[in-house]
Amino acid sequence: MGADASDLSLVRRVQRGDKGAFDALVLKYQHKLVKLVMRYVRNPAEAEDIAQEAFIKAYRALPQFRGDSAFYTWLYRIAINTAKNAVVSRDRSPIEYNIDRNSEESYEMQGRMKDSETPEALVLTDEIRSIVNAAIEALPEDLRTAIVLRELEGLSYEEIAAAMDCPVGTVRSRIFRAREAIDRRLREVFEGGLGRTEELG
Amino acid sequence: MNEELDSQLSAMFDDELASAECELLARRLSRDGDLKARWERYAVIAAAIRAERGVRLNARVARRVSVIVGSEPEFAGLAAPRRAPRRWARPAAGAAVAASVAAVSILWLRGQAPPASVAVAPQFAAVPTVRVTTPAVAPAPSPRPGGPASYVVPPNARGAAAVVPATELANYVVAHSMFSPPMARRNLLSSFMTSEPAEAGAIPVSTDGAQDPPRDAKSGAQ
Repeated sequence: MGADASDLSLVRRVQRGDKGAFDALVLKYQHKLVKLVMRYVRNPAEAEDIAQEAFIKAYRALPQFRGDSAFYTWLYRIAINTAKNAVVSRDRSPIEYNIDRNSEESYEMQGRMKDSETPEALVLTDEIRSIVNAAIEALPEDLRTAIVLRELEGLSYEEIAAAMDCPVGTVRSRIFRAREAIDRRLREVFEGGLGRTEELG
Repeated sequence: MNEELDSQLSAMFDDELASAECELLARRLSRDGDLKARWERYAVIAAAIRAERGVRLNARVARRVSVIVGSEPEFAGLAAPRRAPRRWARPAAGAAVAASVAAVSILWLRGQAPPASVAVAPQFAAVPTVRVTTPAVAPAPSPRPGGPASYVVPPNARGAAAVVPATELANYVVAHSMFSPPMARRNLLSSFMTSEPAEAGAIPVSTDGAQDPPRDAKSGAQ
């Protein structure tokens, strides 16, 4: 079981011309990338734009990616550079918000100003979060512990197995069952799947 | 949907699936819309659990990137999977190149060299040649050991090389008489006596280059 084997197999497919494999990589990392970019820009819409640009840059540079480092490390580096460049170019631009950008409040204000354009997005995000949290609370203890250790703490299956004193196969099964339970709840609420949220957002 | 497949997808999402299984599942994931939608929900669940502040879970990034990437050109240079170079390919290619060069060289040389009956004549038309009519008397040495048993007389001034002093030649024949058969020696000496030129001390040899087609004089490997 090689580290980053999942991403690498998708990357190799993209390098052979399978663009659908790149969709899977974007779906997997889009939230993490937006969160990363938001260290540089506080506005979620702008962060999404920068993340999008970073993904496009990564796609175009993918033929040169040899797998020396993990894909996400490479992708994060691209995103950070893109975000820094965006901040620099924005600061040079004379047409901007006429407020002090150095204060945290001003960034928050910018974020609210942009977000006010898409209130459905915030509502849906809150709704998804509440559904997921409720589904996690409803999980049996062993499933909840396994999924939280994985997603919140970022532990590997082996580390979770050691923590929970069970075989790795059991950890894999517990995490899968936890995800299935949460996913079932999400699908019940969003009958059309998350595609509906995409349209609304 | 197959539960085992979903379980594998969950493990793949966590980078906890074996490489070989990842290869197979990655192919299916890139084509199967249902599987991709499930994959997306796994990502949303993970983001919701992390409760990342400000991150919208219905981010449109993936859709917009997919549209842009769809209009991008294919990776032409990487369309085919890379193969390890075959070990025998390089020497074989080298041999093929060498053979080609040799073949071209031979053809070129043949094109340059005239046919023996036509092109040689003008080239050597002005060159007087010494035709050794008695190989036993003066065998011409090969220019180098193991070289071809023939030579071409280098160009000289007309007449200068064509005159051999008869006395010297006779002395040479006598001095080397032990290496020549008696009959040939006798014939040569008698021919000297009967063909004594008017100019004393010199004997003309064949200098009829213009009329007699010159040819490589054979030394007669004896």
